[in-house]
Amino acid sequence: MTPLALLRRVGQAVLVLFLAYTAAYILLAALPGDAIMARYGAPELGLTNEQIAEIRASYGVDRPLVLRYLDSIWAFVRGDFGYSVQSGAKVSDLLAESLPSSLTLAAVALVGSVFLAVVIAFTASYGKGVWLRRLFRNIPPFFISLPVFWVGIMLIQVVSFQLGLIPVIGASEVESLVLPALTLMVPIAAPLAQVFLRSIDEVREQPFVAVAKARGASTSWLLWRNVAPNALLPVMTMAGLLFGELIGGAIVTEAVFGRTGVGNLTAQAVANRDTPVLLAVVVIATVMFVTINLIVDLLYPVLDARLRQRSGGGSGSAVPVIATAAEAGPTAADTGATATQAGPHIGPHTGPHNEGGPR
Amino acid sequence: MKKRRLAWIGAIAATAIALTGCSGGGGSEGEGEGGTLTYLEPQTWITLYPPAGGFYPNGGVLNQITDRLLYQNPETLELEPWIAEELPEVNEDATEYTFTLREGVTYSDGTPLDAENVVKNFDLFGKGDPDRALPVSEAINNYDHGEVVDERTVKFFFNDSSPGFAQAVSTINSGLVSNDTLDRTSEEFGPGNAADIIGSGPFVVADEEIGSELNLTTREDYDWAPPSREHQGAAQIDGVDFVVAGEASVRVGTVTSGQADIARTIPAPDEGQFEADGLELVAAATNGVNNGLNLRFGHPLLQDIKVRQAIIAGVDRQEIIDTLFTDSYPLATGVLAKTALGYTDTSSAYEYDPDRANELLDEAGWETGSDGIREKDGERLVLTFNEALPQPRSKEVVTLIQEQLAKVGIGVEIFPGDQVAQDEAQRSLDTIQVFHSMVGRADFDVLKSQYFSGNRNALVNLNPDTDEIFDQELDDQLAEIASVPTTEEREAASAAAQKRLTDQAYVLPLFEEPQVYGLRSEVQGFMTESIGRPSFYEVTLGQ
Repeated sequence: MTPLALLRRVGQAVLVLFLAYTAAYILLAALPGDAIMARYGAPELGLTNEQIAEIRASYGVDRPLVLRYLDSIWAFVRGDFGYSVQSGAKVSDLLAESLPSSLTLAAVALVGSVFLAVVIAFTASYGKGVWLRRLFRNIPPFFISLPVFWVGIMLIQVVSFQLGLIPVIGASEVESLVLPALTLMVPIAAPLAQVFLRSIDEVREQPFVAVAKARGASTSWLLWRNVAPNALLPVMTMAGLLFGELIGGAIVTEAVFGRTGVGNLTAQAVANRDTPVLLAVVVIATVMFVTINLIVDLLYPVLDARLRQRSGGGSGSAVPVIATAAEAGPTAADTGATATQAGPHIGPHTGPHNEGGPR
Repeated sequence: MKKRRLAWIGAIAATAIALTGCSGGGGSEGEGEGGTLTYLEPQTWITLYPPAGGFYPNGGVLNQITDRLLYQNPETLELEPWIAEELPEVNEDATEYTFTLREGVTYSDGTPLDAENVVKNFDLFGKGDPDRALPVSEAINNYDHGEVVDERTVKFFFNDSSPGFAQAVSTINSGLVSNDTLDRTSEEFGPGNAADIIGSGPFVVADEEIGSELNLTTREDYDWAPPSREHQGAAQIDGVDFVVAGEASVRVGTVTSGQADIARTIPAPDEGQFEADGLELVAAATNGVNNGLNLRFGHPLLQDIKVRQAIIAGVDRQEIIDTLFTDSYPLATGVLAKTALGYTDTSSAYEYDPDRANELLDEAGWETGSDGIREKDGERLVLTFNEALPQPRSKEVVTLIQEQLAKVGIGVEIFPGDQVAQDEAQRSLDTIQVFHSMVGRADFDVLKSQYFSGNRNALVNLNPDTDEIFDQELDDQLAEIASVPTTEEREAASAAAQKRLTDQAYVLPLFEEPQVYGLRSEVQGFMTESIGRPSFYEVTLGQ
């Protein structure tokens, strides 16, 4: 990627960030009630409307929306996330407390689901016996249909309450990661496996595989040397996109398991209309989403020699196909379109550098 | 390149196995030597400012870390000495209260609980401080100021009779906190600051994980429990871990599988699980205004008493209890719970009689429309109910009532939305016409708390848009409960207000709402205060 292109990507990222922030701000402002109501509006406090208005004024939320919006933008630019209205804690402190635990969970779940997806896809393609392959082919659609919430509760019920293997309360660091990670793996592994499976199917149809086979390659050689590497690109794209799923899943998972984390923080901020916390979460999620997709883009040429050659030569404009391939990831990410669009473009054409079986 | 790629895939697999699979077997208990109680809360606490402690998760913490001037015996609801050596001296019209404080009481930071500090507490609780966004306590009426008479004597003055004050000082809303704590702002009473909220109670906040956990440790030098309590001195357990577990099935399962000791809010359908050996259920009465429907008579559709009576006659309360609840939820026999102070039996007013309901609506001129919903002058008889999120199974209750009222031609809509939206909506007559709620407080004043125009205004008797009072007589009766000085007079005022609420068909009480706790039988000595908040002071963990 040229410096100019990189700059353009960063500019895009900032624009996405700004739009996400603004959209979140407007949506939050449009809801009935706000953080002041959340804290002081409960009937058990018995505050009159005048008293609430007084408190509202002392927080400055009676000013026009536009002014408050500009204020908050300016504060964000200076890196000031403000204070949680609900707890009075610094938003940056709250994030510092919950981010590490969430990132650990997300990382473990992502690695776990890639592994799970690989196992499912390989078994479904090369497993012994038609029944086994058929069974594994049906796992992804089955997994997708399971609600995260339900999976979490079932895991707790069976593993913790019935079998007594892992305590929900008072578990060690590692123990407390296992069930949430497993829960989160289900909705992520499923689409990954599906994309991987599909792309293995497509790569297997490619002439170079037939050539390799004709030259005497064994199944496992074909799988590891020819098919898998070529089927990996769309999976990468998908993995980047699945970050969104990871955030959504983490909210549910952390709430079910009562884990400290950004998900739980978000769930409680939503319940309490804690606007500063929610805006900070939106910004952080957007930054991560954009960054991960940028990394995925940058990784394409590393994984695919053909992409590296042409875009590395700086003659991107001469090769329109590549331009679209490189663009497909981020564009799909930004618009929320499915990654499979990006997948097939790249997968089937990646023959050249992988030709040749055992000599 | 190819080799590296293979290694890469292998590494992913190995890491995945290591991270996800390794700890499957070693399920170490992770608990100490015993002695620390694990308590599960469905929600996280919001503030430890005592006057705002009404929310159960707040009160559950405050009840462990603060003491009060007086102790209200949860069985008899009588007031007894605690930090005050004896019951206060009260002048004839209940405008001056004098308390003598116990000697030697200290806060957990070592500062003394003396007269000056007590005055500082009540000057804040009785008047609030809008600059710091600290509201006045709902339990304290007509407060003027406090005075230090001597080191152990304090005197409080009121603008007008304040007969509820003695009981008010016994509630968690009057939990005494140290001078430094009283200087905090509203935010500084919120999550993240728990360990800095200093009380004189038997437990001290040691550690906090915002939104998920709170650890209390026992104060070893605690020696000022209410004299009437069986146990004295320091608590017998080492501490209490408050753990937030929002999901009901997780709370129930964690206790039944022995991973936690006690959980609050056991849903009615899960109560059966606690019938097993080694488990118990405690349904603590909340001694206040029953769980019920408040018909906001200021709304045009509800201004006709016949319509209100028709709604009351059209709701089959027994069916609600039978289908949705258990024996822990007794059918309401009045606006107040049977055990509440001032209780009057008005059960005959709530008989289920759909024929009578139809008759009343016919008389009122409402005719059945094409879709079964009654109409009059082109207007449909459709009312919006709130969903009382803190109340048990509110949505199911309202849905069942929706079905029942449909049979007599009354349409019911349920207002959706989270707590904030509900709080905002319930203030407006246009949004919510039938308000589902309850209040727990063990004093005559509870009726006033719920219905008085200057308090919760549950019936929207005071129209916030016009500042007009729809039923001045009711408002006066309610005000009287909190301003006549003697118990007899308060009883009479309370009875009069209840009679008006019933005669005018303003309220349909459904059931007496308990706080239901599920616990392991090893937990001995678990008690609740007068409105069902947990007290862990006397708990022992036997084996």
